[in-house]
Amino acid sequence: MDYLFQAYAVFYQFADAFAFLTLSGLGLAIIFGMMGVINLAHGEFIMCGAYVTVLSARAGLALPLAMLAGTAAAGLVGYLLERHIVRRLYQRLFDSIVATWSISIVATQGMLIVAGPSIEGIKTPMGSFEVGSLSFSVYRAILPFIALALLGALYWLFVRTRFGVHSRATIQDASMAKALGVDTRSIYSKTFVLGAALAGLTGALYAPTMTAVPTMGTAFIVQSFVTVVVSGADVMLGLAPSAAILGLIQAALTGLSGQLIGQIGLLVTVIIVIRTLPTGLSGFFLRRNGEK
Amino acid sequence: MRRFLNLLNGPRTLGRGLQFWVGFCVVFVIAASMPTFTDSFAVTNLTFFLVWTFMALGLSVMWGYGGILSFGQTAFFGLAGYTYGVVSINLGDAHGLTWVALLVALLLPVLLALVLGYFMFYGGIRDVFVGIVTLSVTLVFETFMAQTAGPEWTIGDARLNGFNGMSGMPPLTINGGESNLIFDGPPLYWFVLALVLVCYLGLRLLVNSRFGRVLVAIRGNPDRVEMLGYNVRMYQLSAFAIGGGMAGLSGVLYTLWGAYITPSSMGLNAAALPIIWVAAGGRKDLTAVLVATVALTWVSQQLAIYGNQYALILMGFLLLCVVLGAPEGFVVSLVMFFKRKLALRKQLA
Amino acid sequence: MKGSLFTGMSAFCLISILVAAAALMPAGARAADPIKLGLLEDQSGNFAIAVIPKIHAVELAVEEINAKGGVLGRPIKIIHYDTQSDNTRFQEFARRLIQQDKVDVILGAFSSASREAIRPIMDRYNQLYFYNNQYEGGVCDSNNFVTGAVPEQQFSTLIPWMMEKYGKRVYTIAADYNFGQISAEWVRIIVKENGGTMVGEEFIPLSVSQFSQTIQNIQKAKPDVLVTLLVGANQASFYEQQAAANLGFPMASSVNVGQAYEHRRFKAPALKDMYVTANYVEEVDSPASNDFKKRFHAKFPNEPYINQEAANSYDAVYLYKAGVEKAGSTDQKKVGAALRSGDICTTGPSGKVCIDPKSQHTSHTIYLVHVKADHSVEIPKVWDNIQPYWLGQVGCDLSKKADHNQYTPSHLPKK
Repeated sequence: MDYLFQAYAVFYQFADAFAFLTLSGLGLAIIFGMMGVINLAHGEFIMCGAYVTVLSARAGLALPLAMLAGTAAAGLVGYLLERHIVRRLYQRLFDSIVATWSISIVATQGMLIVAGPSIEGIKTPMGSFEVGSLSFSVYRAILPFIALALLGALYWLFVRTRFGVHSRATIQDASMAKALGVDTRSIYSKTFVLGAALAGLTGALYAPTMTAVPTMGTAFIVQSFVTVVVSGADVMLGLAPSAAILGLIQAALTGLSGQLIGQIGLLVTVIIVIRTLPTGLSGFFLRRNGEK
Repeated sequence: MRRFLNLLNGPRTLGRGLQFWVGFCVVFVIAASMPTFTDSFAVTNLTFFLVWTFMALGLSVMWGYGGILSFGQTAFFGLAGYTYGVVSINLGDAHGLTWVALLVALLLPVLLALVLGYFMFYGGIRDVFVGIVTLSVTLVFETFMAQTAGPEWTIGDARLNGFNGMSGMPPLTINGGESNLIFDGPPLYWFVLALVLVCYLGLRLLVNSRFGRVLVAIRGNPDRVEMLGYNVRMYQLSAFAIGGGMAGLSGVLYTLWGAYITPSSMGLNAAALPIIWVAAGGRKDLTAVLVATVALTWVSQQLAIYGNQYALILMGFLLLCVVLGAPEGFVVSLVMFFKRKLALRKQLA
Repeated sequence: MKGSLFTGMSAFCLISILVAAAALMPAGARAADPIKLGLLEDQSGNFAIAVIPKIHAVELAVEEINAKGGVLGRPIKIIHYDTQSDNTRFQEFARRLIQQDKVDVILGAFSSASREAIRPIMDRYNQLYFYNNQYEGGVCDSNNFVTGAVPEQQFSTLIPWMMEKYGKRVYTIAADYNFGQISAEWVRIIVKENGGTMVGEEFIPLSVSQFSQTIQNIQKAKPDVLVTLLVGANQASFYEQQAAANLGFPMASSVNVGQAYEHRRFKAPALKDMYVTANYVEEVDSPASNDFKKRFHAKFPNEPYINQEAANSYDAVYLYKAGVEKAGSTDQKKVGAALRSGDICTTGPSGKVCIDPKSQHTSHTIYLVHVKADHSVEIPKVWDNIQPYWLGQVGCDLSKKADHNQYTPSHLPKK
């Protein structure tokens, strides 16, 4: 019986790392992975979602509704940014670095001035449960399944719905899609908003477990970029395996040798995986199946 | 001589002809005579601005001319700084040994760049993956160095001292029997200025040469260049090594300027800065990058002094306007703007 | 050729304007009368939470002193540069304060890294400098006066008390850098001296924000006391996560609550049974403290929390005033000598604070702060007049011999 408890503990750590990597990368997978915009303000979308969630929950909204509010707020900010700034950068994606970095600074500093260096947080819901002699947070145990559900929903969205197919077509070849009657401008906008909203959702989901400060985006940004890049060109295909592999190694190293080795190990794994599979995981999968 | 002038005035850099070089000389003379008519603070402050130009120039060669976006130049910066610290603390400052430390500190980043570049380019890593791999490298350095606080992390006499940073390294010294020339204040300023001149001119020659032509072709389409028979990976490796070496030069000079080096110089924020300067100024041109780096570091300092907590917001908006309004970089756009104005005036005349 | 001329000249006009402007920037105030106090503090960036109260405390102290006639009849003028939680800015602005603004004293720095970035600059120009933050201890520097609390003041009080109340098995989690490592070393030493056992020690890089594995390790070790030496916003997330996992161990810290007021920022009961030794917290209920709070809130009504660093900064200004008055001038060498002469004290919000001549650190009243389940605070014990004895003990004596080093338990002064 003790064996099972140990096994669950190990599984929990892996799932926790997997959830963090997946959820960090989710919004960026759309904006960077699919659209190619190098969004250095990704952390700030997360921060926006988290802040709105916390403020709504403290104002009295039920937590799930507060999370929806956070997601919507990030989506709204994404819409405004896309319309006025990002739209002009699709032809020159390197310039999105400077643009999104500037947005990131303005957002972080702006939040500091407006809301102060920190706001009172909210409690993690759902309490704890025990497995053997160890106790775990129910909420955090559920997060990996939420992450998987989101991945599934995104897959369904991009493969089985009209919007999804149009979106992928536009990103792959905009002029062709336009020639076939797709409103590319609207598609770009909607896809970006989706990415921003997903980042906001990540912030909303992690808000009850973290401190709400303007710089909280920095906790996610490195993990999100490495997960998305390792997943390769086709993020729908590669994101889950990418998060799984990186999460497995990070959890194993942290469990065996501590947080320092876990952090360094994650980065070294990224280097090794990219060296071994220079087109990322999805490139590797697609090549194996004969596509290119 | 003619060939030298042609290279200096070549097609891949802005500004050519007699008038440009006269203007350049004027500016250089003004800069060199700065210490005679400004105070000591202005001199050290200017040295500080110039220190960053090397990293930016290297990044311009690598990214602007070669199309290789490395997010980890700060790894070389930090490596050079720490190497100078370790070597100079152990060797001391007698007998001109600080110069040995300087040379070693410049050598190690180049070696690292060669190793890392070989690993990447000969392993088929390209585009955004290069950025992620280099970013990971610099973050590994930072994370590792931040925890080297304990007494066991000592190389010879030099304690790495972890997150608190290493200090106490001697400045560059020329030993002359009775009195030594210590490179601090004006001597350091002139030394850095001379290095700026040498590197700027040297890189101008390089990018306007055949090497530069192939490099720019690789930026456009690496496969095509490969098929024309060039060893593309060798060119990429060379550009990467140059970038790494220049970043190392910045690192050593920063350490000399402040007698201090810390792991946060290798962190995420520090890594983004050179990319911002180069992108905002016009990465495809050396002169633009040089001007932009000095301008932006100066502007951000002024904003921090006079803008209080709004400094960062103003900086962000400024950069946003630059990137939206001047897609080629603000220096390049300014130059193009004036050129067009003059061409128009000539036409109408 | 005309086009090229114009291009060339405009491009280089740009450069020369920038270069010239950079060199010739107008200096700060030129009035010879006020005493110039340079302030190097992070008003933005990662450390702003704990540092903004420091800035306000200095402003309050200066306002009070000026209202009563200033120091030696001269008003104090604050010259503050926002260092943006960036070590490089500390270097830039330290030089500016010293070489251009020519200040009489500098107060500032939050993280030890930023202090270490500017200490060489202070030493090079023999600039009088006050560091007003708690830290890992050990700075034995003639130019540096420290009002922050040090490990022997915080741990030699906290750890024996916790061990007596809860038990002798101790687990430490610490930020993986100088402050965390040295503090953990102190904990180890004191635990051993008091007959306890370290059942675990974990060092966590500053960027980590997810603690599931750490929580599991702690549970497996089953300590009596959990010592938490976590620094920064990322690491602060530990408290919520451990509460969600129902970890339930009493916690001891020298760094949380008193600096970044986690008990106000986290929802109860995340910090339940957290014990902190601080030389001041807002909740101290003494006449001096209450009066200080009243004056503070009168000037800054929206201050989220008045932390120990704010009290230290406030005391630092008054200590400097005492030093100048004793020396009879603002000459930095004379003021420094006066400050280490042995009878420079001030009575601030935390009680009486005196400068120890050997180490140039201050004695402190140490309050044991206990955060309860609803995040209200009680103070079960107060230790008066705890000296910063360690540096003097190991051989640092700035009253007799100049020095410019930082020492640790494993890196002692040469005898």
